[in-house]
Amino acid sequence: MADYDLTPRMIPYLDRHLVFPLLEFLQLNEIYPAKDLYKAKYDLLAKTNMVDFIADLHKGINETEETPEEFTRKREEVLQTLQEFQSEAQKVLDIIENPEVLANLRQDKLQNLHYLEKNFGLTEEMANTLYQLAQFQYNCGNYGGASDMLYHFRILSTDNELNLSALWGKLASDILDVNWEAALEELQRLRETIDSRPVVSPLHQLQQRTWFIHWSIFVFFNHPKGRDDIIDLFLQTQYINTIQTSCPWILRYLTTAVVTNKRRKNILKDLIKIIQQESYEYRDPITEFIESLYIKFDFEGAQKKLKECEEVLRSDFFLVATKNDFIENARYLISETYCRIHLKIDISGLSKTLNLSPEAGEKWIVNLIRDTRVDAKIDFKENTVVMNKIHTPICQQVIERTRGLSFRSQVLASTIEKHEAQNAAALAETVVE
Amino acid sequence: MSSRFFRGGSESESESEESLTSDEELSDDLSEEESEDETERQPIAAGAKGRFIRGVVSDSDDSADEVKRVVKSAKDKKLEEIETSVRSIENAMKINDWAVISTEFDKLNKILAKGPVSPKEKDAKEKDAKKKMNAIQAKAMVTMKQKIRKNNRLYEDQIAKWREDTPESLFRRLREVLEARGKKNTDRLEQIKTLQKLLEFADTPYQSIRNIDPHTTDYVDRLKDETELYSTIVRGQIYFEQHGLDDGTSRVVMRRLEHLYYKPDQVIQTVESLVAEGLPDTLKSEITPPSVTNDSTDLIHALCVYLYKKGESLLRTRAMLCHIYHHALHNRFYTARDMLLMSHLQETIHQADVATQTLHNRTMVQVGLCAFREGMIKEAQSCLQDICGTGRTKELLAQGLQIQKYSQLSPEQEKLDRQRQLPFHMHINLELLECAYLTCSMLLEIPSMAAAGSNPEAKKKIISKPFRRLLDYNERQVFSGPPENTRDHIMGAAKALAAGEWQKCQELICAIKIWDLMPGTAKIKEMLCRKIQEEGLRTYLFTYSAYYSTIGLDQLATMFSLPVNAVTSIVSKMIWNEELAASLNQVNNVVVLHRVEPTKVQQLALMFAEKAVAFVEANERALEQKVQSGLVNRDQRPKGQSNQTRQNSEKHTAYQKGSGQQQRSRNNFNNVLGNSVRGRTQQSRYRA
Repeated sequence: MADYDLTPRMIPYLDRHLVFPLLEFLQLNEIYPAKDLYKAKYDLLAKTNMVDFIADLHKGINETEETPEEFTRKREEVLQTLQEFQSEAQKVLDIIENPEVLANLRQDKLQNLHYLEKNFGLTEEMANTLYQLAQFQYNCGNYGGASDMLYHFRILSTDNELNLSALWGKLASDILDVNWEAALEELQRLRETIDSRPVVSPLHQLQQRTWFIHWSIFVFFNHPKGRDDIIDLFLQTQYINTIQTSCPWILRYLTTAVVTNKRRKNILKDLIKIIQQESYEYRDPITEFIESLYIKFDFEGAQKKLKECEEVLRSDFFLVATKNDFIENARYLISETYCRIHLKIDISGLSKTLNLSPEAGEKWIVNLIRDTRVDAKIDFKENTVVMNKIHTPICQQVIERTRGLSFRSQVLASTIEKHEAQNAAALAETVVE
Repeated sequence: MSSRFFRGGSESESESEESLTSDEELSDDLSEEESEDETERQPIAAGAKGRFIRGVVSDSDDSADEVKRVVKSAKDKKLEEIETSVRSIENAMKINDWAVISTEFDKLNKILAKGPVSPKEKDAKEKDAKKKMNAIQAKAMVTMKQKIRKNNRLYEDQIAKWREDTPESLFRRLREVLEARGKKNTDRLEQIKTLQKLLEFADTPYQSIRNIDPHTTDYVDRLKDETELYSTIVRGQIYFEQHGLDDGTSRVVMRRLEHLYYKPDQVIQTVESLVAEGLPDTLKSEITPPSVTNDSTDLIHALCVYLYKKGESLLRTRAMLCHIYHHALHNRFYTARDMLLMSHLQETIHQADVATQTLHNRTMVQVGLCAFREGMIKEAQSCLQDICGTGRTKELLAQGLQIQKYSQLSPEQEKLDRQRQLPFHMHINLELLECAYLTCSMLLEIPSMAAAGSNPEAKKKIISKPFRRLLDYNERQVFSGPPENTRDHIMGAAKALAAGEWQKCQELICAIKIWDLMPGTAKIKEMLCRKIQEEGLRTYLFTYSAYYSTIGLDQLATMFSLPVNAVTSIVSKMIWNEELAASLNQVNNVVVLHRVEPTKVQQLALMFAEKAVAFVEANERALEQKVQSGLVNRDQRPKGQSNQTRQNSEKHTAYQKGSGQQQRSRNNFNNVLGNSVRGRTQQSRYRA
């Protein structure tokens, strides 16, 4: 199973705090030796300020009860620094929590800063202490606190670089604080920032997107709305390009999201194309399942892959919760494709393909007929399903072909209009300038 | 003009190929300014230049001797006078003082007329002066021009003599330069310039190998010299590297790469080890340490990466193309394809110079052949389409001139074309190329023709025009004899495939001899046989589905000797893609066919619908183009672009992204490789 474990590939794109839950999960799964994982955890966190926790890990690795001297010392240092930061930050917090100040804050950050500096002596550096405190708290594992601080910091700071870092920090804090609502919001904000920032270099943007994609998975597979959003986001040109260029393994998550999504019909085609294109660079049972079903039309192969998928999903930190959903939907996909191609199906054969007992298979088919309104009947005597295939008549074909046209024309017309308006605006602007 | 001349010259340092371009430039300039004897003048001028510079060099030697030798012969004196005249003309030219030039020129003529100066010398000065005149003829010095012309007539026979003299004296002058080397008072820069000028006449290995008949032993002998040349290049690279001359290093690395990229591994390895033996231990390269030179792929990677980092844009482009070529040669299709797509070379290649375009064509062809070897028929066809579909393959690959019936080419143009040709050992076998292309076309075209059936609209969709043309021609023939050449074989095979005789098709394809030139012939033939079986099955189903109500899968499997599950998979795919109106009956294991021929009205209705779609699409494209051009205009607006407009323009890019139509239709290759291409192309557009 270690072959399909993506943790090593993903770690370079995650913050060390975000890696921690992954390692915890691996420990539960027992894919890797426990000792190695302990060591990995220790190495991971050694540089953070979670001194107590590290000390515990250290004990675990060395199987001793003593706490080494350096940890006690470090602990004191950390506490002291924290104290200092907190007292510094408190000044700022006092100011901004003042109701009078709150009433006077405006949209314009620069103006706010001026106002605060004039009336309360709050400088840019003081605002930055909030950021430092947040970072420190985050390092200590106090994610909720860090998130709060960053929230305040963002209101005050005008520094673009720090603001971006604050966005990342807040996202990480919210993820680790298991606050999915807030995290989803942060995700949106961060994405806008990444997409709209003037590009330093294409490489830099690619890196930012790659990171963003990896972090977003945490949110997408935990927030109830996430599985819709992940498809919308990842299939956008710039993101699918990023996936293809720098992290093809993300296809697993995208595929799972598509398969388990109810409105997948149109997306599936795009996905198949992408999977086919990237198959030389990345493949795992989940993409292979799609491949054998839709590219090779090998139903038995798809069935085999589905079994493997189960294993892979079970040991994937993000996907473990979607396992049953995936299997159910995958079966549905198999039988849907099967029915479209076949006219007459032997129920016992199909049940075998779906890895179900004959009775369960029959029940399943009945459900399928009911759910998808496939025009089919079961011939009980022969134990077969007969599809009443009606071929789309020519007039239907014509309708299909011309369906989108009026809408597209409308879009065209409105684009022209918009364009004209913009031109006029631009012209006016030039005149003003 | 003068400065351009110098620049042109200095660029041609050690590369005859580049000097060719500067020649080109020169002759263009000259012909613009003076139509009179333009063809012969250019080399003379260049020669005279060399001559003149040599004069300067030897002059400085003279002045060193002057202390001892006071007595001078009359000839020497005269020479000196000439030189001073020339020099003052030069000076005057710098300040545009035409009066001085005129008088000095007259003086010069007087001296020349006076007496027994060797015609050569005279001529050199003469020519030189004339060249200088040319330089600023924009000033319309008509009188000067006339004077010069008169002079020219006077010395006509001497000019002719001088010209004859040039190539023979090449080695002599080279020796002179060599002797002057290391002496006191020798100006290195001047010497380098002299050498550059000499180079323009020199019969360099690159030129000579182009001119020698490749089927003679001379050619082979010349090729043997390549190792030596290559070793010089490697030494040059190390020299430049150690002295931190980045510019020189990139160029020499490029040259090295150009010696390597098209060669098979063994050749590279042999040459590399020979070169490594010849190098003393002290000479170590940073870019290509010995650990890298052992493996050709590593070596080429190292060289290319250096150029990506350091080289200027032209070198980067060329390095990229060489790198892709190398990958394709080693059957790494995906790597090659991704590099090709991500570099966006295809969008800008039309602006590149001819040599780079040729390299691009070679690369595309090699990528296509690579896809063919890997059994990716569709990809191969689309890669080769652009080159092979034109009927000018030879010309596009610079492997020989196409003889055109009504050619409008001037002799110079033809000469230039001739100079661009690649030497024989770099050629891609054209017959093999055509064979691969036609085979791919057959495998795609025959089923598609069968699928089109009687539908007139579908019939118009042509995948490969050359293939169709050949097939039509073949079918018109009253009597077709047994196949003789490659084309005959493929045409015969195509007809057999269309008729469902896949075995005959296989036989004919396998009988083609040229496959032996491809590495791994047996594997390729096997792949082709399998493809023929599959496409045969598809063709059969397309052609005959209307006449059956059911066909047994087992029967199909035996008919095309394919495994049953392969047949099922192919049929399923056809059903799923709605190519075939049929479904499978799992119980009896048969294909049930429901194909109904549409009536005339229905056909027309479908056609009409299709045209409406095309119409809307065309509209969308037109708008997109317009929006885009508007966008460009706006981006060019100086500064003060407000936030508002920037947001707008982003929206526009988003719109473009949404409908990638334009990209798709513009580039055939991109079209077939599909989404990722479009995607990747646009990524950069977005980033930009």
